[in-house]
Amino acid sequence: MIKKKLLGLVLSSMMVLSLAACGGSSGGADKSSAAADSSQGSADGGKITVAIWDNGQKPGLQEIINDFTAETGYQVDLQVITWDSYWTLLEAGASGGDMPDVFWMHSNESQKYMENGILMDLTERIKASDKLEMDKFPEDVKELYVNDGKTYAIPKDVDTIALWYNKTMFDEAGLAYPDENWTWDDYYDAAVKLTKPDGSQFGTAMNPSNNQDGWYNIVYSMGGKVISDDKKKSGMDDPNTLKAMEFVDKLRKDAMPDATVMSETGTDVLLQSGKIAMLPQGSWMVAPFKENEYLVANCDVAVLPKDATTGKRVSLYNGLGWAANAGTKNPEAAWKLIEWFSTKDNQEKQAKLGVTMAAYEGVSDLWKNNTDKFNLQAYLTMLNDSDLVIRPHSRATVVWENKNTANLVEAWSNKVSIDEACKKAASDMNELLSQE
Amino acid sequence: MNKSRMTPRQKSELRWGWAFMFPTVLGLLVLNIYPTFRTIYQSFFKTGDFGKGNKFVGFGNYIKLFKGTEIWQAIINTFKYAIVEVPFSIAIALVLAVFLNGKIKGRGIYRTVFFLPMVAAPAAVAMVWRWLYNSEFGLINNIFHLKVNWISDPNLAVYSIAIIGIWSIIGYNMILFISGLQEIPSDYYEASSLDGASGIHQFFNITIPLLSPTIFFVSITRVIGGFMVFDLIYMVMDRDNPALPRTRSLVFLFYQYTFRNQDKGMGAAVVVILLLIIIIITILQMLAQKKWVHYN
Repeated sequence: MIKKKLLGLVLSSMMVLSLAACGGSSGGADKSSAAADSSQGSADGGKITVAIWDNGQKPGLQEIINDFTAETGYQVDLQVITWDSYWTLLEAGASGGDMPDVFWMHSNESQKYMENGILMDLTERIKASDKLEMDKFPEDVKELYVNDGKTYAIPKDVDTIALWYNKTMFDEAGLAYPDENWTWDDYYDAAVKLTKPDGSQFGTAMNPSNNQDGWYNIVYSMGGKVISDDKKKSGMDDPNTLKAMEFVDKLRKDAMPDATVMSETGTDVLLQSGKIAMLPQGSWMVAPFKENEYLVANCDVAVLPKDATTGKRVSLYNGLGWAANAGTKNPEAAWKLIEWFSTKDNQEKQAKLGVTMAAYEGVSDLWKNNTDKFNLQAYLTMLNDSDLVIRPHSRATVVWENKNTANLVEAWSNKVSIDEACKKAASDMNELLSQE
Repeated sequence: MNKSRMTPRQKSELRWGWAFMFPTVLGLLVLNIYPTFRTIYQSFFKTGDFGKGNKFVGFGNYIKLFKGTEIWQAIINTFKYAIVEVPFSIAIALVLAVFLNGKIKGRGIYRTVFFLPMVAAPAAVAMVWRWLYNSEFGLINNIFHLKVNWISDPNLAVYSIAIIGIWSIIGYNMILFISGLQEIPSDYYEASSLDGASGIHQFFNITIPLLSPTIFFVSITRVIGGFMVFDLIYMVMDRDNPALPRTRSLVFLFYQYTFRNQDKGMGAAVVVILLLIIIIITILQMLAQKKWVHYN
């Protein structure tokens, strides 16, 4: 009997602990299927796997890849994996399994991957290439994927933030549409006027996790910062950051739906369902937004407001990079594909197809014309004629970003003042940065 | 048992027995037992990127955990969830099983309907409930003209999630109970109704005692299942949700440390703590079974 009980205990503990294995093994399953694909591929002359996380970009990229296959004969398998699973899969692959051959890199994670030799060193190949013009890519974005003087990824795109607004609501309230003369104070005034007391309509919305597409822009435009230039200290307690966050807090209290509503529904859905009148949003959302009938009928895009004191109009920006697996079985094909994506022609094509704005200098004007439903010039004005700030990052960006979100949620739900929340965020972030 | 005394037939049975067990044992060793010890081992390390450069820190991860507030809140949340989910899912399933074991019209349809949630993918279930619960556009608030923040009110959210848990598991428990009920000889019921026992009397004095081994089995597995709740919370709660700190379960915390923050040592420590809690509760249940479980 005692033995039986013991056995029962052991078995039940297995059930719990195999959870950890679950996480690993599901990744494992993905890996093995990817492995099966690639081994099968090498038989038919080098099939390579490409992984991305944005389904909206798949059709356009597939077209560019088809051209690649026609030109070079390499078979390419393009897979879309959701953001969360994407990083779990790469992490599992990097920890000793199989990885896709070519994939997107993001500034949140790039440093760690570069330092650990997970990514293929492209430096020599770039030098040897006669098709690439590296000086045409934005310096900041290139920097993201350089470590110790070696380049590990080539910029794929850039994104900026602009202001979406509901024309119908502006008309109804008798307000002029946002334009390039707007300051954040005008934004606040309009937002308050567009908020109806019965709670059926609000001026704007922003969640604590809307950083790059939300409060980061206000912070930098008011002269604040999120992280110091040497990436060693938090800027969350910088006086200008505090001032900007107080502005955000005032906006939240006077012109936004309750934090519970915003967190349950998501700000983009609130705009799509006619609940809010204005929303800063990234250029990566244009592809899904142009498919939405309500937005097409009612909304348009303007530039973000500037700050009255500093006179600065700021857009956060970021760019993904195409990287390759250092251990790929087919380095030549992987490199050729990355090179293919990065030529002027294909960067133009990416813009024209409306995949995203391209990283290559000057070709994004073509992106503007991928739809006539919205005035996308606003995103280009943000790109060309405003102060661009690269998305704040350090070695372990995600960890402190999540911590900041958690701390700000406390202020959003009125448990602490925004001042306290930011100062707590700063001290938590400093501690995390010191451990990096 | 002395091997030399075995007949050739017994020997052959023994060999075949082992041969048939081998695949399962191998699976257990590779997928469960090895990872278990590996996890315990890992919880004593500060893990480096991509599993390289792990540093031994002794109980460092545990000390760090218990100094913080997250783990305590997660333990409370997990208990709250289990305390609601386990008894209700068992009680409701038991009553349903008794009804659906009797001869009523459309029995098969009812059984199927109650079992269906078990067949649906948990992620899909959670997404549907998330929209039912939505405070602005949700069906529940709109039908009953309520203004309740089911999943973003910190005091309520964990129970809202427990309701989803109950809803999804009832069918499974019910099937186990029905199979248990069919083992009970109908003579007992016939004899007791001759003596004038009402249905309720029969339920408490015949059904429950004779079904107690099944109830015991279900409650053991449900407690373990309840303490391991993750997918519902993960799918329903966004990171901006003010109720997240008050619904985050131990497994969610494990996920957060291991996969979001990529600190596998801390994640392993959380799971080991969960293991200890489950072991203690299971021991208590084993001890308590003597008082109420009847094996005949």
